[in-house]
Amino acid sequence: MATAPADVLVGIAAEEAEQVLALGSRIALSAGQVLFSLGDAAHSLYVVDRGRIALTLPMTVRDKEQDVLVEERSPGQSLGWSALVSPHRFTLKATAAVDTEVVALSRAALFDHFAAHPAVGYAVTRNLSAVVGHRLQIMQTMWLREVQRVVEISQG
Amino acid sequence: MEMFLMAAVMSLLAVAVSAVLFAAATRDGRPEATSPARRAAAEPQRFFASAADAAPSAEPGKQAEGVPVEALLLQIEHHIRLEQAAAESFLHTPSGQSLHSRTTSRLVN
Repeated sequence: MATAPADVLVGIAAEEAEQVLALGSRIALSAGQVLFSLGDAAHSLYVVDRGRIALTLPMTVRDKEQDVLVEERSPGQSLGWSALVSPHRFTLKATAAVDTEVVALSRAALFDHFAAHPAVGYAVTRNLSAVVGHRLQIMQTMWLREVQRVVEISQG
Repeated sequence: MEMFLMAAVMSLLAVAVSAVLFAAATRDGRPEATSPARRAAAEPQRFFASAADAAPSAEPGKQAEGVPVEALLLQIEHHIRLEQAAAESFLHTPSGQSLHSRTTSRLVN
């Protein structure tokens, strides 16, 4: 992680952030390779180190199920927070849009580390709340805009 | 001289018989050599095919498709990106106007 700190590690001292990242293992993905699928058990939180991850949801287009892009994750951004939130199931599919490298942080390793370093655990949780909250606000706004269109269509 | 004429007549007769046999042989072989595709190509072109002609070659659901699926998926992706940008804009400066700002997405226009 030579560039900006990961979004979940913002506000944490560089040395402590390195300790958190050292808990993880690097995963190299070639373009098109799936990191996780919708409904998979979520054991790890991921931080993109290099490349780009496409987050997709299935949509029926012309009677065929297609993966439609919902979000993208770039270096420094995290994904897979379902690993830290019950029921620990991924609600999106993550695929490498280009050759990509991520750091996988297992839930067990993170929780053990947080138990030993509560200040780090608090900071990561706070950052994670910001990531989740932002996603919620974006999706809520998009949903409301679509509902407005449905209302306009239904009214002719 | 008579012998020469007889030989010449016999030769011409032999050539004629050979030509008739060759013509008959090639006429018999022509229908077998013509494949259905070549026969179809030889038929006059029609702008509209009849439903009966079109049905066997057409894949189900293909006829009504104007835009390729790939292009449609790109349109959907573009629409979602525009909507995300609009949502980000709303969160930056929340107001009723920014919430329902018009989109240029071709998917809904």
